[in-house]
Amino acid sequence: MLSLLLLIPLVGALALALWPGNPSPGRMRTVALVVLGLQLIWSLLVLLRFDTGISGMQLQESFVWVGSIGLDYRLGVDGLSMPLVLINCALTLVSAICTRDINQRPRIYFALLLVISGAVNGAFLAENLLLFFLFYELELIPLWFLISIWGGANRAYAATKFLIFTAVSGMLILGAFLGLALLTGGVDFSLTPVTSERLAMGGQLVLLGALLVGFGIKVPLFPFHNWLPDAHTQASTPVSVLLAGVLLKLGTYGLLRFCMGLFPEAWALLAPGLAIWAAVSVLFGSLAAIAQQDMKRMVAYSSVGHMGYILLAAAAATPVALLGAVFQMVSHGLISALLFLLVGIVYRKTGTRDLSVLHGLLNPERGLPFTGTLMILGVMASAGMPGMAGFISEFMVFRGSITAFPLATLLSMVGSGLTAVYFLLLVNRAFFGRLAVTPATDAVEDGRLDVRLAAVAPRETIPAMGLAFAVVAIGLLPSGLGKLSEAASTSMAQLPALVAAMQLAALHPWGVG
Amino acid sequence: MPIISAELVHAGGRPAALELEQQLLSGQTLLSESADHLIEVVDVLKSYGEVLDAYSINLIFQAEQQFLLPFPLFKYLDGDKNPAKIWRHLIHDRINFEYAEYCMKAMLWHGTGGLDAYLDSDAFAANCAAIIRRKTRIDPLLALLNPLFRGFLPELIRTAATTHALGQFWRVMSDLFIDLAEAEADGRVGSIDAVVEFIKDGLVAAAANPITYGVEVDGEHFWVLPPEAGLTFLVDVAVPYVEAVFLRGMPFLGTVSFNAQAQQISPDQAQFAYGALFADPLPSMGAGIPPSLLMQDMFRHLPERLHQWYRERTRGEGDVRVKICMSFQKSMFCVTNAAIRGTFPQPLNSSEPAAQAANRAYAAAWASRLATARTDCLD
Repeated sequence: MLSLLLLIPLVGALALALWPGNPSPGRMRTVALVVLGLQLIWSLLVLLRFDTGISGMQLQESFVWVGSIGLDYRLGVDGLSMPLVLINCALTLVSAICTRDINQRPRIYFALLLVISGAVNGAFLAENLLLFFLFYELELIPLWFLISIWGGANRAYAATKFLIFTAVSGMLILGAFLGLALLTGGVDFSLTPVTSERLAMGGQLVLLGALLVGFGIKVPLFPFHNWLPDAHTQASTPVSVLLAGVLLKLGTYGLLRFCMGLFPEAWALLAPGLAIWAAVSVLFGSLAAIAQQDMKRMVAYSSVGHMGYILLAAAAATPVALLGAVFQMVSHGLISALLFLLVGIVYRKTGTRDLSVLHGLLNPERGLPFTGTLMILGVMASAGMPGMAGFISEFMVFRGSITAFPLATLLSMVGSGLTAVYFLLLVNRAFFGRLAVTPATDAVEDGRLDVRLAAVAPRETIPAMGLAFAVVAIGLLPSGLGKLSEAASTSMAQLPALVAAMQLAALHPWGVG
Repeated sequence: MPIISAELVHAGGRPAALELEQQLLSGQTLLSESADHLIEVVDVLKSYGEVLDAYSINLIFQAEQQFLLPFPLFKYLDGDKNPAKIWRHLIHDRINFEYAEYCMKAMLWHGTGGLDAYLDSDAFAANCAAIIRRKTRIDPLLALLNPLFRGFLPELIRTAATTHALGQFWRVMSDLFIDLAEAEADGRVGSIDAVVEFIKDGLVAAAANPITYGVEVDGEHFWVLPPEAGLTFLVDVAVPYVEAVFLRGMPFLGTVSFNAQAQQISPDQAQFAYGALFADPLPSMGAGIPPSLLMQDMFRHLPERLHQWYRERTRGEGDVRVKICMSFQKSMFCVTNAAIRGTFPQPLNSSEPAAQAANRAYAAAWASRLATARTDCLD
């Protein structure tokens, strides 16, 4: 059943690549939409079959692929990966829907989009470390193409930077996985937690360190975030949606599944330091976002900040915090995708994302009032306004972490407050005041300029409306998602070794951090 | 690919004061001659005429029938209280009479010209005293309020007087604008110059119309603006109206800072420049922009020819109220042009040096005020 989540997009990609003749971009898009629609429907069928009472992997599928090197084809889904698979299927569909003006090599574009979707599904579902790594790398090259072919003016620089950072991330992860085999003397690449009986703490710390940096680049966490703002700025809107909404989640998923799941003892030892790292990342992301003039860079830096909450929750590793981490992954996926979609609409209509140029876009008849309304909803959700997805996830993260790491949690809360600061700056500059899309020269003269922006067609905002609806729905009815992930997050927090190590760590001087 | 922002903005030319002065003295129109301008001005004035008709009827109804009523709940219904009309009012299928009141308040507040002088005179105070005496005899609430707040009822009567005077002014203007549309339809008016001339003739013809206002209180008739006050249409109402609504106006909420320390609004009321000739049409339909009400009312009465003209431009119906506002501003420049033409102190073709100097001074005074107006719409 799970294999189809990989097969549908990958076979779809193959079909697109081999489609006979010279089909129009519209035809390619329709085919991609049909394939992604099927994938989403199939993921919903998986959800129906999913038993929320089971904490471990379910709906498992496996066969030995290359047994001699420990590469098994083992797929399974649990409460951690199920929501991420759903969000991947939904957001890839959204990004295909909002791809409208691809005239350059549409066949390859949509095929790559499908490959990414299938690879990400594979990474979330893989129950074998090497299999995960294969899918993790498989998603990298198509994304590099998507940025370097269909990106902005400076796309070559951004794409190369992305490639270098993420390739290093991949190498570190592969190194850690192979190191695990080497140090434990076996070819077991299953998800079994490594205890000190199998591997000494020193070895665990080295391997965990490599994984932390590897996934820290992907998340990204400060100071490995450098590639993200450039990649977002140069990527087209659908690619940004995919990047922020889905691909960053591979990093946080890796933190929870592999760093914490494989090395619970070493994780518990490092947890206080990780919490401080999370707080630094949150504060850095937020402060950097305040300083941005480009709307897209601002949203990108907000991602750096908001991904920090997940590391904080993972460091605290309480059931509430881990459930909060799952919520944060889903809500950040939806909210940042929504914000990137809206910034994309603003860019398409005005030709700029510069906050020193844009003003008054909420103008009722000549501006982009509905886009502005959704933007205000999006930034409120991102700032953690109650009633929307951002609030419930941040609340759970903070509630679950405050007892374990009060200082780091309080600093992260400051970061949450700063989210309101930079997003209100964005809304105030770009959406309030007199409509303007040119640099200010003279207040009187500028006040006389007649601005003639093209109207936003209703169909252009349909994907954003869908995401906004989901953001509010999760905020008002969080129990559905909660039920889906509760068993898994509770069992992760109760990994016996982790609990024991946590108790030990409480005696450690860092434990008060 | 994104559109380049330079294509998204349009800037009109701004004539200097001297150029405007020359245009006024040489009898040229401020608004340039074009077929598009003619359609815009004539049709927008036609819809304005229909709206003014409703405003005028309601203002006169309010001043006469709702006079000193403590709770005038049905003041916008023109005395017709049938449930269907109340329902249409509640679902906002109606004319926005609030805008008429807004203009009345602008006139009352800026208070220039003969009407305002009369409202501050002893004769008016005596009329008020007589009315209040009679009214407080039959209205216990006003009987209680009047001794507590001596200035309250006279101020309400001033408001009612301004309301009635504006109603009378708009009666004339409404008929004039609808006549203009008929004249254009049957070919008598075919250019912007002819439009200005038509309006000028209408204003001059009505110039000496008396402005009077009387009320019935407890079966007795009282004059508020008696015939012997000698108030006339042009000098005592039209000119103050132009000063208050076309020129000075009031700043719209949200477009300038109302914080005194920001010093964005002049402390001298005479220096205000927020009127119809100065206002920015772009924020129309935004919160805090009262002329949006007028634009909506005119939209409901838009002639098909202009409606079609708007449909073919920019966002079609999506930004129609902003476009109506732009056309309206052009038409108000034409009305101002007509008013200036009609009020030159000496004939424009006079060869007398003294007469020419007087006309020049008059034109220069207007041109210096108009030079900072939204003349960019005149191209």
